[in-house]
Amino acid sequence: MSFEQIIFYIFSAILVAAAVGVITVRNPVHAALFLVMCFITTSALWLLLEAEFLAITLVLVYVGAVMVLFLFVVMMLDINIAKMREGFTGYLPLGALVAGGTIAVMWYVANNDYFNLTNMPPPERLAADASNTRMLGEQLYTTYVYPFEIAAVILLLAIVAAITLTLRHRTGTRYQKIDQQVRVKRDERVRMVKMESEERK
Amino acid sequence: MLVELIQSFFAGLGWPWGLPEWMQVGLVILAKIVVILVPLMVCVAYLTYAERKVIGFMQVRIGPNRVGFFGKQMWGLGQPIADAVKLMFKEIILPAGADKLLFLIAPVIAMAPALAAWAVIPFGSEMVLADVDASLLYVLAITSIGVYGIIIAGWASNSKYPFISAMRSAAQIVSYEIAMGFALVGVLMAAGSINLGDIVAAQQGGFWQWFWLPLLPLFVIYFISGVAETNRAPFDVAEGESEIVAGFHVEYSGMPFAVFFLAEYANMILISVLASLLFLGGWLSPLEGLLPESVFEITLLGSLLGPGLHWLVVKTLIFLFFYLWFRATFPRYRYDQIMRLGWKVFIPLTIVWILVVGVMIITGTPPWFDVA
Amino acid sequence: MLENYLPVLIFIAIGIAFGGFMILMGFLLGPRKPDSEKLSAYECGFEAFEDARMKFDVRYYLVAILFIIFDLEIAFLFPWAIVLRDIGMFGFMSMVLFLGILVIGFIYEWKKGALQWE
Repeated sequence: MSFEQIIFYIFSAILVAAAVGVITVRNPVHAALFLVMCFITTSALWLLLEAEFLAITLVLVYVGAVMVLFLFVVMMLDINIAKMREGFTGYLPLGALVAGGTIAVMWYVANNDYFNLTNMPPPERLAADASNTRMLGEQLYTTYVYPFEIAAVILLLAIVAAITLTLRHRTGTRYQKIDQQVRVKRDERVRMVKMESEERK
Repeated sequence: MLVELIQSFFAGLGWPWGLPEWMQVGLVILAKIVVILVPLMVCVAYLTYAERKVIGFMQVRIGPNRVGFFGKQMWGLGQPIADAVKLMFKEIILPAGADKLLFLIAPVIAMAPALAAWAVIPFGSEMVLADVDASLLYVLAITSIGVYGIIIAGWASNSKYPFISAMRSAAQIVSYEIAMGFALVGVLMAAGSINLGDIVAAQQGGFWQWFWLPLLPLFVIYFISGVAETNRAPFDVAEGESEIVAGFHVEYSGMPFAVFFLAEYANMILISVLASLLFLGGWLSPLEGLLPESVFEITLLGSLLGPGLHWLVVKTLIFLFFYLWFRATFPRYRYDQIMRLGWKVFIPLTIVWILVVGVMIITGTPPWFDVA
Repeated sequence: MLENYLPVLIFIAIGIAFGGFMILMGFLLGPRKPDSEKLSAYECGFEAFEDARMKFDVRYYLVAILFIIFDLEIAFLFPWAIVLRDIGMFGFMSMVLFLGILVIGFIYEWKKGALQWE
């Protein structure tokens, strides 16, 4: 067994164990942290597949951004676990159906001729100085420019959706308007009042 | 240079002692890691000393001046060592109701990325432990894991101040990460590479060729974001002792507290080193192009004036001094002001400057971008 | 390429081990004399008023969501930045359009007051 295979099996084992952890632990914060572990080990597996840029971006985006949001949500929502477990048996048939469907699709994909080792050979080892990021960049912004622009539209949609769903203005809050504060002139704040001096009684 | 020295030292000892090859490779890597980590730890220790001394002098105090070595006071140089030993012998308090495992894992999660980022930092044109291609992206990704240390610490303590602090600092760190990322895009554009060594190499040609000048707004934004990312003054609402006591590490004592402390200072040094590599030409000499070529060929003086690790150290120290200076000078920002600065000032500025740099590159504006 | 990542892997392992070792040393060398007052949550000398896990402003979620979107944007910008010299005017304009679409979103955020921390 080559060294890379050993690394692969170690990370795969951690990945599977963490994935089991995500769905078995009772505390939602622990589950989210197991998911972080999943992403980090997945990133290592992608790296073994010579996808350097995507592997590091996976950590940057999913671990550094998406899971921070997840943790925010599960830490602050105060989820009542006992209550969530009440409906478990009721949802069981539906859940089993979805799980069965997913397994069937995965089975179909894994056994499909399209994905066998002759059609999808393991990636070639890149030279030590090859730049995976550069190769990606040369394709993405020229050959695949339409998908790239569509990604921008999807992100725009996400911005609009996030704001309409979560933005709630509090009424009656007052905040600093720094630009107005900076622009203020002396005459707007200070009024000179001429007064005759009065004799002290 | 140092690494080769160590390798030749081992070779002199009759290396290898018939070990299998993978063990040799592993041992060489380990030796290199030790060569990076030990000076880093010394720097962290003495950065705490420098901080107290510098701020002391700025406030017309003396700072620590009692603990020395060999019975002498020596301007208090023994202070960081004494602090470390003291913390080691302190009780580790595990608060009731805390999530004990996560409570102890949190400082490790904060520190491991702060150290692991150093794996790809180049210290000279060939002096780098792991010459990975996307090294800047790696640094950005691995340091973004550090925020979990703070979030987990705040949550696991089961106490109000840490929790408030964790939420605040997490929102702050992610906000400034965007500004920082955009500023880095400008550097990548100017250098045409994502590898830290290549970025420094692209700045060849003396003081006026370094990226600080064409990327001046990004340079300033990068460093200010770096200060905010490390939760240092004036962006230290996470610690804000006047309102939430000490923030996310209120409940920490002894060694776990020391580990948080270490992570914060290692991150400060990391940001400073990156700022010097990305904008101030790293190990390149500022005198390049100003002095005649023949000067650099003089035996000792030439290597001192020419490029070398010492320039990187000097530049890093300048940024570290700024960190301390900021702390002594600026009052703490209010939280809404921090968010405003990050989202409403830095992000628009960086987007505009990225487009400016793009136009400069496409049109080949001299003197920085005229060579294709 | 992969061989370059071996030192990184070892470095990460050492970073974790180093932190763990320090805390272990603290446990071995420090005293352990817990009592209920010492272990209670610190709240400036008062007894804790209520549960520490409180509800937070929804604004924190909004910041996190917007952060994800901008982080993705940065991920798209990185490969573009390093190949800009090779892909020329066409590549530059495709990114101008990309950023233009997202700047619309940014202006929308701004006008809606989503960037205003109240």
